[in-house]
Amino acid sequence: MSSPIADLTYRGYDGPLGGVSKRWWAIAKYQIKKQVKNRFLWVLMAASGWYYAIMIIIFFFLEQMAVNNGPQGEQALKGFLANIVWKDQFLLGFSFGQFLFFVMTWILGAASIANDNRANALLVYLSKPCTKADYLLGKWLGIFLPLLLMQLIPTLFFWLYGMTSFASYGFVGAAGWLILKMIPIAVLGSALSASVILGVSSMFNQGRIAGIVFAGLYMVSNFFTVFVKIAILFQGGHGRSRIADIPPALLNLFYCSIDGIQIAIAKNILGTAGSQPFGGGGARQRMAEVPVPSPIFTALIWLALCAAGWAIAWRRVRAVEVVG
Amino acid sequence: MIVFQEASRWYGQIIGLNDVTCTIPTGVTALLGLNGAGKSTMLRMITGQIRATTGTVSVYGQTPFANPEVYKLIGYCPEIDNFYEHMNGFQFVEHLGRLAGYGKTEARERSRRMIERVGMADRAHKKIAGYSKGMRQRVKLAQAMIHDPQAVLLDEPLNGLDPVGRREFMQLLQTFSEDGKTILVSSHILFEVEQMTSNIVLLHRGRLLATGNIGVIRELIDKYPHRIRIATTQAREVATQLAGLPYISNISFERDGLEIQTREPDKFYDYLPSLAVQHGLPIDGFSSPDNNLESVFRYLVTN
Amino acid sequence: MAVAEIRGLTVQYGRFTALSDFSVDIPEGCVGLLGPNGAGKTTLIKTILGFVKPATGGGHVLGADILREGPLIRQRVGLMPEQDCHIPGMSAVAFVAYAGELAGMPGNHALRRSHEVLEYCGLGEARYRLVETYSTGMKQRIKLAQALIHGPKLLLLDEPTNGLDPRGREEMLELIRSVSHGKNVNVIVSSHLLPDIERTCDQVIVVAQGKLRAQGLIKDLRKVEGAPIDVELKEENPKFMQALQERGVTLLSAHRNIYRVQGKGLPSDVGKIVFDAATAVGTQVRGYDLAQRSLEEAFLEVIR
Repeated sequence: MSSPIADLTYRGYDGPLGGVSKRWWAIAKYQIKKQVKNRFLWVLMAASGWYYAIMIIIFFFLEQMAVNNGPQGEQALKGFLANIVWKDQFLLGFSFGQFLFFVMTWILGAASIANDNRANALLVYLSKPCTKADYLLGKWLGIFLPLLLMQLIPTLFFWLYGMTSFASYGFVGAAGWLILKMIPIAVLGSALSASVILGVSSMFNQGRIAGIVFAGLYMVSNFFTVFVKIAILFQGGHGRSRIADIPPALLNLFYCSIDGIQIAIAKNILGTAGSQPFGGGGARQRMAEVPVPSPIFTALIWLALCAAGWAIAWRRVRAVEVVG
Repeated sequence: MIVFQEASRWYGQIIGLNDVTCTIPTGVTALLGLNGAGKSTMLRMITGQIRATTGTVSVYGQTPFANPEVYKLIGYCPEIDNFYEHMNGFQFVEHLGRLAGYGKTEARERSRRMIERVGMADRAHKKIAGYSKGMRQRVKLAQAMIHDPQAVLLDEPLNGLDPVGRREFMQLLQTFSEDGKTILVSSHILFEVEQMTSNIVLLHRGRLLATGNIGVIRELIDKYPHRIRIATTQAREVATQLAGLPYISNISFERDGLEIQTREPDKFYDYLPSLAVQHGLPIDGFSSPDNNLESVFRYLVTN
Repeated sequence: MAVAEIRGLTVQYGRFTALSDFSVDIPEGCVGLLGPNGAGKTTLIKTILGFVKPATGGGHVLGADILREGPLIRQRVGLMPEQDCHIPGMSAVAFVAYAGELAGMPGNHALRRSHEVLEYCGLGEARYRLVETYSTGMKQRIKLAQALIHGPKLLLLDEPTNGLDPRGREEMLELIRSVSHGKNVNVIVSSHLLPDIERTCDQVIVVAQGKLRAQGLIKDLRKVEGAPIDVELKEENPKFMQALQERGVTLLSAHRNIYRVQGKGLPSDVGKIVFDAATAVGTQVRGYDLAQRSLEEAFLEVIR
């Protein structure tokens, strides 16, 4: 029997309740929703594709020339294209985006656990049907998925441009399937960044400090990469000889950083050591790049870094402290 | 002995304490008030951390602001739980003893005595990081008393203690009070205050609302509607008798009796026996829910 | 039916035994959980939440196994922790709704109910504010709101009045009373402030040294042997004792102006004699009731 006057005091909840198994998705969903609202991240994403953007602009002008200047322009475009190795362009785009990926990772992940630590948020999570694994997986996905998306969008854009404009210049045959290689590269790269920042974030109780430590880690490890680049520069000689005189162990140091290991992954999967940007240097210079590392070497470093991030986070987030 | 003479304190436009005149005598005095009533301001003025904007504060005849002479006379036991967690309880107290100006042996000896007095002798050599709330409170009290001060100020000292710890801590304060110290305790838990002392200072929105003995204060506010619950099996008959009395302002029926309100409780209590004796009505019991500090506090703060 | 049944539970942290062969049936209604520090109270709460891996024993909470179905238990139970906790950077409404989603509610239901629960907890006006900006009293309320959002059948409150001033404390106790009575929510309150327990709970469980020391109605625990009566006079009056004894009522003890007496017959009969005696010696009776111990006295005796 219903009364004409409603009872607005407390009442129980008898609406639908989901199962208790996929709680990590609720956490990830909240994180992602919050992240995609951050406009600055989208700006960074656009900026991370700067290499692709410049290439597209160059192509665009060459094409215009080819259309307007007749055979002469056509010649210029063909000459330029002759120096372009498509998979190297994807490698370059991915490599040059690294710094911005790092900034994006910082913004996405530095505060993820650190701020929770300060506010005792773990108590809220764990007193609900979430486990520690749910919590960490949710937080990790909340970094990984937006990062993956933001790494792939510029690449996808460049690829679509190639597919539409250069199909007649052999793009489809040479690079049509490259996008399928770029996906695992971005997946592995984003997974690495997300794992590392998750570990760093869990160690602190202020997002800012976690961010600074992550940046420090990035910069310090990048020292190796920069060091090898400089070594190559000062080696003198041309092309292959430049690299050949440096011991391979030293060359491998190039990959011992957060950037480097992601570039290694890209080189392994794309199967190229890369070439000079913007098709410069000609074929002669092509071998003046750090050679493709052994896939086992890459896999070991990748695994070690991911495992370290997770292990730290797993140790730092302690379920036992829920009460008292 | 701590005396406030028309003391006020502003923070910019915000008033912390407004024209307070009172005397805190030796023995235990409770400092009461809602959050933001001015309790912390008062404690900070006594400990000399801030100066009265107008009026004066004196601690044993001296002005406390930036006056080390006064600091020697007072011990302070703050609410916050900040320690050097890596030290043990003894080291902590000894360290603060050194800061109070004692030499190494003197500080050690005093620490040993204070630790003993607060009942921590058996646990003083464990790290503070592993201390329970009660042990922390004791260590805080020990450091506040190390220089044998005349007055001790305690901010929420019983917070987080379990009933056993609470009782022991109160007894400890009682022993200090018997030594002739002035002890000012701020607390939100009124039933504890009732067990500790009958002397209160009640602040409300920066003003001094009441000061002195709880019993006296309660008598003075006897004028306000006083509720009395009567347990009886014949509530209607009792009510019929009471309805005719001029000083009864309200009668309401409850599950096993009735509750009346009166403005003249004294007259009512005089009348009550006649219900049972002359009218032969069964009175199983009666009591006033207003007969405690909590309701006195509520009355004073809401009016 | 019991809300929780714990059977032969032994929990050890290293060499320290937090609970030893502990069995209890936690009844429905509002139950107070008492015990000194380190008695095993916290471990018992963890057990009820399904967090504890006991050395031996087991049990059920709301029909779910504490060893295997921890998450299921936590979906049916709401916890209001002792420490301040919230999720940073969220408004109250978003925070409570998110807590509901974490418990498995669909997003739109969670948001609707979040408004409702915040209103109920007295945060209606402040619900769009960031939780970080809340005062102590409000933080305490929002912890209750996030514990209630998914409509738990059992609510665990750990020191719910911690740090509150007298007004805030009274409001919180009223809130707890109202949710635990007539709303079909079972409540377990753990608190060191025994008067809080007295005001909100009907029953208590006393834990000390990892064992169940006492369990029962507060009313029964507070009972004094032989049902004597406490008489409060306006002021001390030595003649009153004599007058009572002449009328066949024995005086058990006197503490300032409160006299504990033992008479024959119903309380109302003893009352008549007391009134008569008081009138005879010209003193005023200010209170007169069946003697009760305070819960604190009862507690201290039980754990001794």
